[in-house]
Amino acid sequence: MNAQPFLRPFTAPAVLCTVGLVAAMAAVLQFSLRAYVPGSLEPGGFTLANFSDLLKPLYAKVFLDTVWICFLTAICTLFVGYPLAFALVRTQNAILKSILLVIVVTPLFLGEVVRTYSWIIVLGNNGFINSVLMNLGIVRQPIQFMFTTFGVVVALVHVTMPVMVVMLAAGLSHIDRDYQKAAESLGAGPVRTFLTITLPLSMPGVVAGVTTAFAWTFSAFATPQLIGGGKVNMISNLVYQLGFASFNFPFAASLCVAGLALTIVVLTVLRLAARPLDDLKAH
Amino acid sequence: MNNLADSRNGTASSGDDIAVRFDAVTKRFGDATALREVSLSVRSGEFMTLLGPSGCGKTTLLNLAAGFFSPDGGEIRIDGARVNDVPTYRREIGMMFQNYALFPHMSVAENIAYGLKVRHIAKKERDRRVEEVLALVRLAGMAGRKPRQLSGGQQQRVALARALVISPKVLLLDEPFSALDKNLRASMQVELREIQRKLKVTTIFVTHDQGEALSLSDRVAVMSDGRIRQLGTPEEIYRRPCDRFVASFVGDANVLRGRLDGFDGAHSTVAVGTARVKVPEAPLRGVALSTPVDLFVRPEQLKIAEICAPSAFGGRVAAQVYQGGHVDLYIECAQSASDRLLVRSAGQDAMTRWPVGAEVGMIIGIDDAVAFPVP
Amino acid sequence: MPRSTYQRLLGFVGKLAVLLILGFLVLPVAVVTIAAFNDRAILSFPPQAWSLRWFAKAIAYQDFRDGFRNGLVVTVWASTIALMVGAMFAYALDRYRFRFKKGIEGILLSPLVIPHFTVGLGFLILAAQVGWTRGYAVVVFCHVVLVLPFVIRSVYVSLRNLDQSYELAAASLGAPPSRVLLTVTLPLLLPGLVSGWLFAAILSFNEFTASLFVTAQRTQTLPVAMYNYVREYADPSMAALSVMYIVGTAVLIVFANAFLGLGKVLNIEQSR
Repeated sequence: MNAQPFLRPFTAPAVLCTVGLVAAMAAVLQFSLRAYVPGSLEPGGFTLANFSDLLKPLYAKVFLDTVWICFLTAICTLFVGYPLAFALVRTQNAILKSILLVIVVTPLFLGEVVRTYSWIIVLGNNGFINSVLMNLGIVRQPIQFMFTTFGVVVALVHVTMPVMVVMLAAGLSHIDRDYQKAAESLGAGPVRTFLTITLPLSMPGVVAGVTTAFAWTFSAFATPQLIGGGKVNMISNLVYQLGFASFNFPFAASLCVAGLALTIVVLTVLRLAARPLDDLKAH
Repeated sequence: MNNLADSRNGTASSGDDIAVRFDAVTKRFGDATALREVSLSVRSGEFMTLLGPSGCGKTTLLNLAAGFFSPDGGEIRIDGARVNDVPTYRREIGMMFQNYALFPHMSVAENIAYGLKVRHIAKKERDRRVEEVLALVRLAGMAGRKPRQLSGGQQQRVALARALVISPKVLLLDEPFSALDKNLRASMQVELREIQRKLKVTTIFVTHDQGEALSLSDRVAVMSDGRIRQLGTPEEIYRRPCDRFVASFVGDANVLRGRLDGFDGAHSTVAVGTARVKVPEAPLRGVALSTPVDLFVRPEQLKIAEICAPSAFGGRVAAQVYQGGHVDLYIECAQSASDRLLVRSAGQDAMTRWPVGAEVGMIIGIDDAVAFPVP
Repeated sequence: MPRSTYQRLLGFVGKLAVLLILGFLVLPVAVVTIAAFNDRAILSFPPQAWSLRWFAKAIAYQDFRDGFRNGLVVTVWASTIALMVGAMFAYALDRYRFRFKKGIEGILLSPLVIPHFTVGLGFLILAAQVGWTRGYAVVVFCHVVLVLPFVIRSVYVSLRNLDQSYELAAASLGAPPSRVLLTVTLPLLLPGLVSGWLFAAILSFNEFTASLFVTAQRTQTLPVAMYNYVREYADPSMAALSVMYIVGTAVLIVFANAFLGLGKVLNIEQSR
């Protein structure tokens, strides 16, 4: 008796996709080890020069900036997203809850370009904030938001927030309300209950949210490209420039490989740091 | 209805009267052995119950009959044909699941017709048989409902109808009453047994509830630890348990300490204090005289008697609890292996009021108890 | 429950904070909407005159029209293929044991953490190396790989929640495996499949970074066309398009919430 009647037909397409993805990643790895031949799309022989070039201060700085921006974004998103996730989970009114959910989730599906463009209109020198501030006479000169790390991070927080809220809400929704009631019955005030019960129990959601926010920000391209405008560069921008402006695909590939390695290291560190929380997930 | 019953009789008479036969069946899950060389023959038209605590292997045995997995050793036959390698869908079985597993996206009629449709039975015939079986389970008029619109009892009848409509060679029931409340359970049990008798369908029923097993079955197989401990009619299982496990698992039992005192043809005599109790000889065969034994006696077979009556042993009333139909008397006794003995009396015997602390005598009739050597 | 003044104050502060955060979320959407209806070509607040001409211009703009059509083609193919591949794999993942199971699963879920520009570059190089022209096939394949993790998860969760006794019951009634699959498993999985497909479609239609690498002029999707437009022009027709985009997406989300229960899909229902 065949207990797995559809094994082959059901896994074959997935295996094909796996092979495709592995081949694509292998292609990147292979290119990262090839020499750049200026003026040609074909790479030269095998070399480690690309990786030694990565150590040049110009590129090392982009790496550090990227990690810094990702870190900043993840933390800001956490602080802004937590109250919203809390409200989303604890709201009793079904209609209010639906409205909150749609407002939170819609940007998740809007795509990076639309959202980044919206922020250009908000933050630009002739944009919404500066127009309002100047019309009210609060400032004379427009404040420079565009092409600054601040502007990039604000837009990135907006981009990352929905996924953070969803992750936090998932964590919060699985906390039994009786714990909170028990704490209150024992005489703990609302702030104390939150700090000693709810917050610790929601830590698995926090870790999942921060991890995902970090990975998403790392992957962002349109936001640093359009709002950073060349002044604030992340690895993604450098990869694109090298590929499509100087056609130096081998170096672009080595940046991708290094970036991927960095992502893996950071995610592993985050996961290891969160290991003591594993027993909180049990229930 | 006749149609269902006829087709049953047809298959029954053609076989050798054994509908399902397990022959030295072994099943392992990883390192754990769920069944150890279990052999069991279920007669045609019989209601066979597999009874045991959870983890005893009863559900595994049922699932092997259903073909949800294959045995690691031994042979399973249905109607004489070896089915070890026959997949579930070709075994012609009917199964009722613990949660009924009614397809939520189909109506009652569609649920019942599913097995007929799979067998390419024409629509007209299908409709007729669905109607017939719905009448059998007293759900006529419910055909268009969805399962979630039905009560628990109704859902169970639909599940039964769905399993029966295909005239299965054997009906497999996996704890079907566990989701029902107590009152409903009793009436559903009676109904199930009536239908089973009417159709003469061979039935294997799995339960951990000994009351259910005793009241429904033609025969009961008591299982523990992957083996069948005793196979017999409900009365045999209850009155003549073959070992300590069966004696304590099936029904309430008082345990008294005694010594083997002698043999007397068909009986052994056990000394309990100064009293002498005659018990079946078989479990004590080959045991030396004066060996300590445990005497298992049912609460309703302990009788209150004069303290000075011959072959009575004494005790002191600790509590009397009125239970409606009967009265439970708790008695402290020096020979008891647990702390108190339970005496259950009904009818005239139950009328006496005993003050707490009263000295009473107890007697046990011939063959009303069984004894096993102390392990 | 009686509440002290302190608790009321706390509640008020909390509500205010949530309102401010919602404002932050909604602000760009609101601003872009105002800009879209502004008659002037230069951004200015508040607008002096209103008009719909940027909508007309956006709809008439050839690159947007092509991008929309290309995006639709890619999305329909990619999400449908991803649904089939992902659903079948999720089934095998839940029910079967096979070699390299963990490995294949890990690789197929890895686009969740691999930056999209890396995936895009990989498919670009791969296509060049095997001599594929940069047609739809590369874009669709790349999108399938990118949305597959979401489909697999969505279907896998539905499968986990599906009581297996339904399938056993169907088998006991005489249905062979293929029939069980078609008449019992598939209908019961339908909500999970629909939400998985919807999820995949929305993500694919919006995918930008990897698309930028793998699309050519002929196959560029709407987000890529929008990106190129923003880099070259500053007039509000892009704002008008954004508004259409936002409205379209919001309608889909409201629909998904009403029919599928977004809270359930996203796993954020309060446990009691």
